[in-house]
Amino acid sequence: MSMVFKRNIPIVLVFVTALLFIMEYFVTIPGIDFKSAVTTVNNWGIILTAFTLGFGAVNLFILHTRHISRRTKGQWPFSLWMLIVIVLFTVVGVSTGATSGQYTWLYSSSYFALSATVYSSLGFYMTSGIYRALRAKNVESGLLLIVGIIALAKNAPAVASGLPIIVPWEAWISAVPTTSAQRGIMIGAALGALALGIRTMIGRETGFLGKMTEAEKGG
Amino acid sequence: MFVTGRIFALGMLVAIWIFILVGMEMAKKAIPTFRKLAGLDALPEMVGRAAETGKPVHFTTGLGELNTMMASQLIAGLSVLSYVSELCAKAGVRIIYTVYQSQVMPIATELMKAAYTIAGKPEEFDADDQVRYMSGEQFAYATAVQGLAERERPAANIMIGPFYAESMLFAETFYRIGSIQLAGTARGYQIPFFAVVCDYLLIAEEIYAAGAYLSKDPILAGSIRGQDVGKLLALVMMIVGIILTALGSSALINLLKM
Repeated sequence: MSMVFKRNIPIVLVFVTALLFIMEYFVTIPGIDFKSAVTTVNNWGIILTAFTLGFGAVNLFILHTRHISRRTKGQWPFSLWMLIVIVLFTVVGVSTGATSGQYTWLYSSSYFALSATVYSSLGFYMTSGIYRALRAKNVESGLLLIVGIIALAKNAPAVASGLPIIVPWEAWISAVPTTSAQRGIMIGAALGALALGIRTMIGRETGFLGKMTEAEKGG
Repeated sequence: MFVTGRIFALGMLVAIWIFILVGMEMAKKAIPTFRKLAGLDALPEMVGRAAETGKPVHFTTGLGELNTMMASQLIAGLSVLSYVSELCAKAGVRIIYTVYQSQVMPIATELMKAAYTIAGKPEEFDADDQVRYMSGEQFAYATAVQGLAERERPAANIMIGPFYAESMLFAETFYRIGSIQLAGTARGYQIPFFAVVCDYLLIAEEIYAAGAYLSKDPILAGSIRGQDVGKLLALVMMIVGIILTALGSSALINLLKM
């Protein structure tokens, strides 16, 4: 029975759903409304998402309550703060509505501001990563260093205005070698995704379902 | 019957499907070989290092979602998670999988539980601690993972799936705490970031082959051969397209528009 629940039913569901989406994209058959069937499946997905969000919330509560009760060093105050924020957002959201002024203010003044701050910090992370990468240790890293300097100089107006020759160099590097490499990667990735999709559809790729234990194989 | 403008794409889909099936069939007679993927070969070493240092292994599938175009990258990541979980269970190393989309939680829990059961240690798997839902918001998820990195100091960090702006936040934070890192994504913009910071890198299609590579299943390896024939076909079409366009013919372009 386990084999049926853990392998056969998920594979059949994946096959039928994928086939439906393929048919909807490529084929039109009079009398068969693929579009509304796909919309229905998508709606099921939305319902499932809402349902599984509950799982996520339960997981957060269990994990962080554990930290608080054990007074985990360096963690429990943050856990407590997070639970307070979850409760606060839920209470305000449920009582006033997700589009209310109170909820919007709460969201904009906390999450939105913090999110923008984290995004801004990315510049510093990129700088430290590039600082380590731009070192001529061998031919490849030497080339990376040269191209990196040209790209940096072109994007710094003070340098580009004093040394205009680098502008067409950078444009050529971006348009020819970089674009061709990116397209090669893109074609390979698309074919890889297609092959994975086909393997998943026909039930050969089952890594995401986990391995079967001996008992499950037998039973 | 067929949607105009998509007939050629459907033909290609069917052709590649046939190549893959033929490749799988051929693999029953002659087992194909893979070229070495250093990143995947390094997984036992990464888990071994975690075992020696007594620190956990962190795994993320990035912003992978089951209901978007990025689902294939998520599925590729989950295949590797299954393999790494088993390695960790055998070595007695705690693996922490941080979740972005709540829908992935039950799937990840099941496959990790199965990995621990196969390793003969089902009692060591603590789903609440090891499958952690962080947030469904990009930067909230990113900061939560960064916080985990700073507090738990994982010895190894494995990132396979679709990544966006958080790629550099993760790679740099884990580099700073001294984690050995494997990253793999099919998102072209993030590959350079991972390339400059991480110890091992899987580029684009390599992540899709990871499941087949790690399973050592010859039939799955045969499907990769079929995929390579598809790549060859794309290459031939590009060359033919260049020649025809240079000669002033738009035959191939018209064919693609069918």
